[in-house]
Amino acid sequence: MANTIDIVVPDLGDFDSVEIIEVLVAPGDKVAREDGLITLETDKASFDVPSPEEGVIESLTVTTGDTVSTGDVIGQMTIAFIDTVVIEPAVVDAPAAMIEPAGDTQVLTPLPVEQPGTGGKQTLVVPELGDFADVEIIEVHIASGDSVAVEDPLVTLETDKAAMDVPATAAGEILEVLVNVGDTVSKGTPLATIEAVAAAAHAEKPAPASTEAKQPAKTATPAPASPPSKPAAPPPAARALPSIDEAGFSKAHASPSVRKLARELGVNLVQVTGSGAKNRIVHDDVKAFVKAILTGQAAAPAAAGLPSVPSVDFAKFGEIDVQPLTRIQKISGPRLQASWINLPHVTQHDLADITELEARRQELKGPAKERGIGLTPLAFIMKACVSALAEFPKVNSSLSDDGDSLVYKKYCHLGFAADTDKGLVVPVIRDANKKDVYEIAGELGELSALAREGKLKLEQLQGATFTISSLGGIGGTAFTPIVNAPEVAILGVSRSSMQPVWNGSEFEPRLMLPLSFSYDHRVIDGAQAVRFTTFLGQALADVDALLQAIP
Amino acid sequence: MAIGENEQTRTMSVTEIIAATHPDSEATHAAALVVIGSGPGGYTAAFRAADLGLDVVLIERYPVLGGVCLNVGCIPSKALLHAAKVIDEAEAMAEHGVTFGKPKIEAEKLRDWKDQVIAKLTGGLQTMAKQRKVRVLQGTAKFVSPNRLRLDNDETVQFEKCIIAAGSEPVMLPGLPDDPRIVDSTGALELAPIPKRLLVVGGGIIGLEMACVYSALGTDVSVVELMDTLMPGTDPDLLRPFLKIVRKRYETIMVSTKVTSMRATVPGIEVTFEGDKAPSVGVYDRVLVSVGRRANGDKLDAEKAGVNVDERGIINVDKQMRTNVPHIFAIGDLAGGPMLAHKATHEAKVAAEVAAGEKSYFDARGIPSVAYTDPEIAWVGLTELEAKENGIDYEKAQFPWAASGRALSLDRAEGFTKLLFDKKTERVLGGAVVGPNAGDLIAEIGLALEMGADASDISLSIHPHPTLSETVAFAAEAFEGTLTDLYIPKKRQSR
Repeated sequence: MANTIDIVVPDLGDFDSVEIIEVLVAPGDKVAREDGLITLETDKASFDVPSPEEGVIESLTVTTGDTVSTGDVIGQMTIAFIDTVVIEPAVVDAPAAMIEPAGDTQVLTPLPVEQPGTGGKQTLVVPELGDFADVEIIEVHIASGDSVAVEDPLVTLETDKAAMDVPATAAGEILEVLVNVGDTVSKGTPLATIEAVAAAAHAEKPAPASTEAKQPAKTATPAPASPPSKPAAPPPAARALPSIDEAGFSKAHASPSVRKLARELGVNLVQVTGSGAKNRIVHDDVKAFVKAILTGQAAAPAAAGLPSVPSVDFAKFGEIDVQPLTRIQKISGPRLQASWINLPHVTQHDLADITELEARRQELKGPAKERGIGLTPLAFIMKACVSALAEFPKVNSSLSDDGDSLVYKKYCHLGFAADTDKGLVVPVIRDANKKDVYEIAGELGELSALAREGKLKLEQLQGATFTISSLGGIGGTAFTPIVNAPEVAILGVSRSSMQPVWNGSEFEPRLMLPLSFSYDHRVIDGAQAVRFTTFLGQALADVDALLQAIP
Repeated sequence: MAIGENEQTRTMSVTEIIAATHPDSEATHAAALVVIGSGPGGYTAAFRAADLGLDVVLIERYPVLGGVCLNVGCIPSKALLHAAKVIDEAEAMAEHGVTFGKPKIEAEKLRDWKDQVIAKLTGGLQTMAKQRKVRVLQGTAKFVSPNRLRLDNDETVQFEKCIIAAGSEPVMLPGLPDDPRIVDSTGALELAPIPKRLLVVGGGIIGLEMACVYSALGTDVSVVELMDTLMPGTDPDLLRPFLKIVRKRYETIMVSTKVTSMRATVPGIEVTFEGDKAPSVGVYDRVLVSVGRRANGDKLDAEKAGVNVDERGIINVDKQMRTNVPHIFAIGDLAGGPMLAHKATHEAKVAAEVAAGEKSYFDARGIPSVAYTDPEIAWVGLTELEAKENGIDYEKAQFPWAASGRALSLDRAEGFTKLLFDKKTERVLGGAVVGPNAGDLIAEIGLALEMGADASDISLSIHPHPTLSETVAFAAEAFEGTLTDLYIPKKRQSR
């Protein structure tokens, strides 16, 4: 049974006319579902166009250097239905899922409310969900007592295709939230009750003004010399008080005048150490605190805010387009920043000789592919990391919350950074130390596919003890990855290249793989770090050991 | 939040449109800042803002400035309380060999003196307003828009910023007969004529101060309070010395007692009670209703400016005294919290400074409360009731005035000075004083609280001898275990 289909470029999001930097297959190649066919490069990232199906490439109509856009046909392939494979509906759905509009979270169109604009108690329900029913709530954005405006998100639902926000259909105060995270809902499920503010309320407002308008020129005496300066409400910014830990502030050992100074400067006295008798905070302490932050001698306290990046009105300099961050970016951004701020990062760079490894991998790749396994270099690197982590258990540890002890983990779950069109995710291969290189490679392929489709489950993203970020497929010679805290280290991998290596008597061409090992210097010292990368290099050179089956 | 702000913005723009299209609706007056009410909060705000360079209009509904405090509150009551004190002290000296004979009380002359005191102070305010070029308008102001007020004489005031300081009013019980013998605190200060038998309804500070005045002037005083204690919310130990004295002086003190009816009859106001120890009925030739005060926040059409007012007439504010409308501030009795002049003046400065662009905050750790009764009762900061309610671990140190030479020489040994300390830091959390001049003595404890002073900071500051102020230092020494003026069995090593 065979069937020939067009190979179509999936949704490229905002990109159009994207350049093909590599063609990974040739006519006649057998490919598995999700195998990379061509590599595209935008100015932001490069990524592979995966095979929509398992089968054989019939023809390719593009070559390196061509540009393609969403929906372009780049060739044809014959789908092979092996044995009696069940035809999953997902197979048919897959391309459809890819041409969904970009952006991670769709906003559902609200169901029309029966009496739009009316006030009073109303129930907010789940609108039409398309084909979906029993969809899980992954986030609840409201609590009783909250004020919401029309279109404010109430909850986020996650189907296996996408996450979507359910918007409020009425403005007002939430009386009761009727659902929790984890609940499954369908069209019409009540989410919350709301004391809706009637839209008509707006119409009442002009009343005072019109009273004023009606007021005749009764004012016998003309207004005094200076007319009122504009009826000026101060800019809203003036309204926002600096966020101060009031409970702590009220206990700070400081006199009223010192407190006044602190208020003026927005200093949270909780963070100031007093230099006076009995640690009394004096004026100079407040000034010194501010000075230290301004001159960068002290980390600005999180509560008082980091020194901020200057705000620029970009529209002043040309046309702009504002796109919201994806949900994954919104989640990962603060976590990356937290790691960057909290961990003293050091990156150790090293080179590993993978000449033999790569040769063996090329030999084994074909047979592996026949078993449906893409035997990538990453699988070998992971395998090497497993033995390195066994040798250096500290790299597999975490600091306890109080920072007083190290938590050694007797398990070895390896995370790997996967770049998806919705942002960076880190799927986790569990118990990597109990898996051989084929098992790891197989799982890498599966998890990568799930990541691209946004179908990873929470448990597939949790529990990593060490993370690998491989940009080798794209390029680079070195970089400084950010540790995926509370892990204490991360291995960055750049593109391998042939280099002349002195073997004692002459230069020899060797395939060298650049390793960039970032670590938390509170836990790992420099000597340990370089021992780790050295060990890793040796492990990568010993391809037989890497290929050993797990007993 | 978003909804309110949108409305705000929209209303403002309508106002602007009207201002632009109806130039003839120009206001009678215009000011950078208008202050509504000239009580201690209002005049302080107006004067401070003027000193900071703002062009200020001050609106007062009465012909004299000063509000309740100067005209019908703090000041006149204190003048009368002074008279009461002189009478009482003269009488008390008879026991110790100095006899004056029965005092002759010329109520009219006494009232005149009280009025002179008021006149002097309010006149001083007028002068200072002039010196500061604060324009004073007389009238009752109401908002017509977020930037305009109208007075009851139809004058209008266009303003950029506004401080609402319109205070509070005594609450009258509902359903009382309309009779001049039933008065509120304002009426009670009139003293005319001095009654033979007075019933004070409501055992709060205001009622008890007036009870004190009338008792000294020879009136038989009864007090009735609905709750189970006088001055509800005050630490019970502070009341004990006071109760010991007034139980002897007053006719009856009825707590947990409800006034069920009042009837005006020829011999007097007939009052019926409901309570365990209360008589069922009594006839009084004067009844003072002092059951509390109500904020005036809802008498200004504040909603036309978009300002939220709660059901108690209170306008909620942030630490900079701003209402929900950022250019409108509220201070004093109608801004929530204790209804005290010294709180209002403090808030007034914050509001005026913020209105003038400064970064001021209301950041006090204690607001002293004083009952100018005899003996006076004063406290600041943490009370023991609050500490117990909130589970705050504190240690109490107390010095009884029976061991104070000065108190004994005043023939007033019933009082005491109490300090509450944080056990760990030994810093002052609060304190209280009962006895003559307690209201003056509490200021030192307030300073200690604001400065974060600990027990030794107080005890190591030399206090003059012989004064009542020594008792504050002695209380701190009692906490430290270094007190020598009293033998307290050692519970700890001296620190």
